[in-house]
Amino acid sequence: MEYLVHLSILFAIYAMLVVSLNLVVGYTGLLSVTHAAFYGIGAYTTAILLTQFKLGFFVSIILGMIITAVISLLIGLVLSKFKGDYYALGTLGFNTIIFAILLNWQSVTRGPLGIPGIARPEIKIFNFQFLISNNFAFLILTFAFLILIYYLSYFIINSSFGRVLKAIREDEKAIEVFGYNVLYFKLMIFIVAAVMASIAGSLFASYITFIDPTSFTIHESIFILAIIILGGLANLRGAVLGALFLILLPEILRFVGFPPDIAAQMRQVVYGVILILLMLYRPQGLIGEYKL
Amino acid sequence: MSIFSQLVLNSLIAGAVYALISLGFNLIYGVTKFFNLAHGVMATIAGYSVFYFTKTLGLNLYLAVVLGIIITGLFGYALDKIIYLPLRKRKASSMVLLVASLGTFTAIQAIIAILFTSQFQTLSFNIDTSKIFNIFGGLITQTQLIILISAIAVACGLILFLYKTKFGKAVRAVTDDEEVAKIVGINTNKIISVVFFIGSAIAGLTGILVGFDTGIEPTMGLGLLLKGVIASIVGGIGSIFGGVLGAFILGFVENFGIWKISGEWKDAIAFGLLILFLIFRPTGIIRK
Repeated sequence: MEYLVHLSILFAIYAMLVVSLNLVVGYTGLLSVTHAAFYGIGAYTTAILLTQFKLGFFVSIILGMIITAVISLLIGLVLSKFKGDYYALGTLGFNTIIFAILLNWQSVTRGPLGIPGIARPEIKIFNFQFLISNNFAFLILTFAFLILIYYLSYFIINSSFGRVLKAIREDEKAIEVFGYNVLYFKLMIFIVAAVMASIAGSLFASYITFIDPTSFTIHESIFILAIIILGGLANLRGAVLGALFLILLPEILRFVGFPPDIAAQMRQVVYGVILILLMLYRPQGLIGEYKL
Repeated sequence: MSIFSQLVLNSLIAGAVYALISLGFNLIYGVTKFFNLAHGVMATIAGYSVFYFTKTLGLNLYLAVVLGIIITGLFGYALDKIIYLPLRKRKASSMVLLVASLGTFTAIQAIIAILFTSQFQTLSFNIDTSKIFNIFGGLITQTQLIILISAIAVACGLILFLYKTKFGKAVRAVTDDEEVAKIVGINTNKIISVVFFIGSAIAGLTGILVGFDTGIEPTMGLGLLLKGVIASIVGGIGSIFGGVLGAFILGFVENFGIWKISGEWKDAIAFGLLILFLIFRPTGIIRK
């Protein structure tokens, strides 16, 4: 049971990442491979604020969101100059740079040593204090955030804002001719998705209580992207299904009987083969609504 | 003075490695027009082939190197036939090809890690690596000298091949315009497959040289690939000269960039250069 709760929390965190990145990749058609960077910024903000400044968890989430918003605004401005393959390459570059900063800015991030001893969140209602130390309480907190993010995304894509995003994906020139400021829409959705990823990062840091830069590499971004393409581009339910698969796959591999170190590699083989097969036979993913 | 000459030498060696990767990458990009992210993992395949041949089978070193290069070339050829050719026939977008190559890269890298463990290995266990040359106070090992010479030799060989042979002419025709090349009777798919063989073989050579210089690990491909891509974009994507020029620029910027700071920042500097170029001169130095 305890293990099931653990898996559910990881699932919820990944689902947030996947749902948010789907807004950028699936709905707006921008192939971004830098999501793990924002996830990392959120995680590190929470970790540093909680361990060194002893601030509250919810304050750290909000500060993480603000920092991520500023950084993603700057990155988004640079990225707005690129199209197609070059956009993907540029995002790959930003993920590498942010990873290098997390790894090398040792006075702040402790570099490869990582940050241990991150506290679990505390909730203060009147004079009662709840320390969310048991996993079940944390699960409820994480799912509350997931539901919030899911329905916010649902609201965005079904609003007039979301329709403009899809129009940008289908024909950027045409929507520009109609007088829409394409740059504004692309930037906004990029920032919204980045901020959602930072929330996932804050939850991750506080749940695992230890983080180091290796959780936020390009490979992590590639996995998130692979799951979106698997589940289905421009489909929220597909994205969540994909995240479920991502969490269950290592368990399945272990169940089949691979030793743990090989299972980790097998997982990557499966991702790779899935990507190839999807591109060959079903480029819109399992239940996707948009083809790359 | 000696630190300056050492930095120049380091830049040249790094530039030579990037040039080798970018040569193959640019050649393939030229005929297919997509970012083949699986290109870097070809270097890994070659490195581990040589490792297997020399350490496990005990083959002669030179034979192992030649076999390693040929096997890698065949691997590239097979990937084109199995994955990229069907996609091209369906007129898939370059984004689909990019994602497919991303999948190929992820799968092959993990398979290598399963077969050979993810430990760092060295290829130079049975050759004498103690020979070191001193040039203006900077040190260069024999292996590094071979890397430098190989890069120049491969670049010259490739240019001769492209501009002096009939096949090279066909490759350039496909690079310029695949449709027109088809119309004048060039079997473009065959040309592209052979280009995959040549490009992958060059990447294989790079992987083997890097293996002798520093060592091999399953994840080495991504770093090499990204540097090759940056070199290609800085120099001018799809242009052979541009790629080599960009590779040496990248080598110098990277190595002089860490003169006063930790070497760990190399990757960030490299990508900083890429982003600067993408913003201010996306076509690269040599415009196609």
